[in-house]
Order: sequence, then C-alpha cells, then structure tokens
Amino acid sequence: MEKLYQLLDGCKWLANVPDSLLSAVAIVVPILLIITVFPGIFAYTTLIERKALGRVQNRYGPNRVGRWGILQPIADGVKLLTKEDIVPRKADKFVHLLAPILAVIPSLLLFAVLPVGPGLVPVDLHIGILFVFAISTASVLALFMGGWASRNKFSLLGAMRAVAQVVSYEVPMVLAAVAVVMAAGTLSTVGIVAKQSGGFLSVTNWFVFQPWGFVGFVLFTIGAMAESARTPFDIPEAESEIIAGYHTEYSGFKFALFQLGEYLAAIAMAGITVTMFLGGYNGPGVGLKYIGPLIGVGWFFAKLMTIILVIIWIRGTWPRIRVDQLMAFAWKVLLPMSILNIVAVGLWHYMESKLWAWLVTAAWLLIWAIVLTKIGTAQNVERRTYRYAT
Amino acid sequence: MNAAFWILSAMSLIGALLAISLRNLVHCVLSLILFFLGIAGHYFLLRADFLGAVQILIYIGAVAVLILFAIMLTRNVTGTEGPRELFGLGWWTGLGTALIVAAVVWVTVDSAPQAATRSPGQAVSSVEQIGKSLLNQWVVPLEVLGVLLTAALIGAVVIALEEVVRRR
Repeated sequence: MEKLYQLLDGCKWLANVPDSLLSAVAIVVPILLIITVFPGIFAYTTLIERKALGRVQNRYGPNRVGRWGILQPIADGVKLLTKEDIVPRKADKFVHLLAPILAVIPSLLLFAVLPVGPGLVPVDLHIGILFVFAISTASVLALFMGGWASRNKFSLLGAMRAVAQVVSYEVPMVLAAVAVVMAAGTLSTVGIVAKQSGGFLSVTNWFVFQPWGFVGFVLFTIGAMAESARTPFDIPEAESEIIAGYHTEYSGFKFALFQLGEYLAAIAMAGITVTMFLGGYNGPGVGLKYIGPLIGVGWFFAKLMTIILVIIWIRGTWPRIRVDQLMAFAWKVLLPMSILNIVAVGLWHYMESKLWAWLVTAAWLLIWAIVLTKIGTAQNVERRTYRYAT
Repeated sequence: MNAAFWILSAMSLIGALLAISLRNLVHCVLSLILFFLGIAGHYFLLRADFLGAVQILIYIGAVAVLILFAIMLTRNVTGTEGPRELFGLGWWTGLGTALIVAAVVWVTVDSAPQAATRSPGQAVSSVEQIGKSLLNQWVVPLEVLGVLLTAALIGAVVIALEEVVRRR
C-alpha cells in the first residue's frame, strides 16, 4: 500500500487527479490483483497437481489440450461452466446455493493480510494472524452447510467428518502460531516478516532455523493440510468411503467454487506458513536498491510454490489415515507438542546466550517429540467386534 | 461510518429475529451466525478489532459450530411437530429477563468512567492493553476460569467414558 502511494505520488501527470480517486485506486488495485492472481495460481496448481500425480503414479497426466496440457485448466473451466446445475429435489435450496459462495469468500479474505513483497500487503492489520484464524474457521461453515443442505447421507457424513477434523486440527495450529507470535512480539504479518529479515544472505534469521520454529513449522503445515482437507487428511471427502463427502450433490460451477475455495485456502495457508516460518519475502538480494522488492516477490512465490509442490508430493505418496488415527494424532501428539513448543519459546526468549538457548530448546523438543510419538502411536489393539454384521 | 452502522445494525437485528422465529433449527443457527457477524462488525466499527476477531473466532468458529454439531446429531431438525408457543408464557419470561439484563447493562455502561470520554477514531493497541490487564489486574479471575474450564472438560470426558463402558 505505502509503496503504491509513493509510486503514485512520483508520477507528475497524476498531480491534477483528486486524492479521493487516488485512494480509491489504491484500494481497488490490490483487490483486483488478489482476485486475478491467486485464482490463476489455483488454475495452474490443478494442472501441476495432475501432472505431478501422474509422474508419481507412472503415467502422463493431462497432455492433450495444448502443449504439455497447458490449456487444460481453461478447458476444465469451460466444461464446468457449461455443465447442467443439478439440485436435489429434497435439498434445502437456499442453503445449498449459499454454501459454495461461502466456501470462496473466506479463502479470498485470507489473502488480505499476506505480505507478498516489501511494503506490498493489501492491509497491514495489527491483529493479522488472529484475523487469519478467525476467517479460516468460517470456512468450516460452508462445508457443513453444503453437506447438510444436500439431504444425502454421504454428504452429511462428510460434513460431520469435516467439522470434527477442522475443529480438532485448529487447536495445534493456533498454538503453533502462538509460538511465533511470542517470539516476534507482534500479531501483524508484516511485523513477523520484518523480525525475520537480516542475517547472512537474509536467510539465517528465518524462524524455521530455530528449534521451536522448525517444530512450529511442521505442526502448522500438518494443521494447514488437515484444515484444507488435503490427502492424507482428506477423510471429509474420501472418495472410496463416502463418494465425495460434502460436495457429492454439487455439479457444474458450484462444484468448481467448492474446489476453488479449497485450493485457495490451501494456497493462502501455504502463504501464511511462508510468512510465519520461512521469512516471507526475505531471501538473498532482497535488500538491493531498485530490484530488491521484485526479488522479494519472486522469493515469496518461489517459497509458496515449493510448499504447494511438497503438499502435492505428500498427496501422491501417502495413504489416507483412518478417522480414529486422525483424532488420536491431533489430540495425543500435535496438541501436547505445540504446548511444549510454547514452553521452548519461553526458554529461548529468557536465555541470554542464543547458542545455549538453541541447544537447550532443541534437546527439550527432541526428547518430547520422541516420547510423544512413542505414546501417541502406541495402540492397544483389541479384537474387533462387528456389531451389525451377522 | 453511519451507513456501516445502520447496515450492521439491520443485519444483527434481522439475524436475531430470524434466529428466534424460524422453524428449522439449522436455519436458526445460520441466522444466529448472521447476528454474531453483525456484532463483530460493530466491534470493528468501534476500533476494537481484537474483540471483533475474537468474536468471529469464538462465537462463529467455536460456539456456532458446536451448536451445529449438536443439531446434526438430533433427529427432528425441521420442527414441524409440537405446538407453536412463541407468544405464550415463555414470551413473558423472556421479556422479563431481557428487561433485567437491559437494566444491568444500562447501569454498568452509565457508571463506567471512560466509556463516554474516549473520542471515536482514536486508534489504541487493544491487544497489548487486554494482555497486560489480563495478566496483572485480572490474573486471579483468569486462573479461576481456567480451572473451571478444565474441570468442565474433565467432567465431559468422564461422562463420555461412562457411556462407552456401559454399552459394552
């Protein structure tokens, strides 16, 4: 915003334009950028995902529409737009219509506090991180409304699974973010990125290189993947169990909106991960005089795409986990670990020598990580009883 | 400022009215969420953005989702059965309760010293203030609340456990 103002101030021919128009432009331009750039990234993420999954599964992936299938997202969009929109007769029509809309709005709002480059943030809220969590909880409503309004048992099952999963994984995710907020001393996304600047090549100060930052990064990434229902946490839409979960009864562009909302939320969460742990736009060359901000934007999107690629890679290689494993993992491993991580940040903050602080917190977290994985994955397997089987 | 106030007020009032008058329980909760959103908007309008975000996080993200989860587990959601008693005895009880609550709120707001003196548009870093007063002035109530919530949590776990044991 500030940079934009300076840029606009620098132009001589703008001197006659009234201020109100300039501020209107300064408000509209970031919004336009958000609603064009990130859905564009979404479209090509689907292509990258299909290509990468094809690679993992030893097949080609889409390769017919344009060279390397590069026009595939456009073909998909046209297909979804021209498909018939079917609403079940027994469905709750209004809620059924409202759900896909509500799925997209929170995901787009998340980008409002994402600093993509030095000074390039749509709104610098001083409660940025809190805003992110407040908005992302609203997305669970869309899943519930879609599942409930469809009047379909598979949809309802998917909705119940989605609500239970999102509510459980939200807790360790927020606690992982609390560690970062404690270390940075601010809730603002811009402030958190500023805390990670400097150091050798603008790299060494990233929070991920601290023991608590690394643990927080892992916890947050797992939580973000579960919250956006990505494999291996995709039990709300497990196609082999409950068809497509909450969006079973959606077709045409409503289905596309659900997909858009889900992918945008995943991209936004990857962006928040980059902001909180991977130094945001900080990287080698970001301090240069004129091209520095451009390099910063480049670094931000490079990190964003790396995280998305890792998420796709995980989807291609890991099986879906069971519901009870999912819940046990959230409550028995992730939650205690995130609380112990907060203790580690406290230690790190109050220890004078940062080298010793690094070693002590690393040892503390390592021991607990081993203990918790031992406890959390230990199962006293009982003989199964099938109550409804004859 | 004024337009936003009227829009948000209308939103909250419509949401609240729909929440008590609709027959379908899920629709009621969804209108209750509209009401919560309106209140959060009012907080943002008053520059209490921390409170606004917390309102969305807790009331929409937790309370409303919890109610929805409970409703999903009940059988008769549409509420077509049973008599319609909106203006029966319960109405007068509700009116009395509302009057008492309104009186208490009125007295509290009227006697609060800073409420009238702070000029609108004065940005305050509410997060720091709230954090400091929570951990200095209000640390004992905070801890007591924590113990209370933990007890409630353990109680819920105990109740759930008992049912599992009984079923086997």
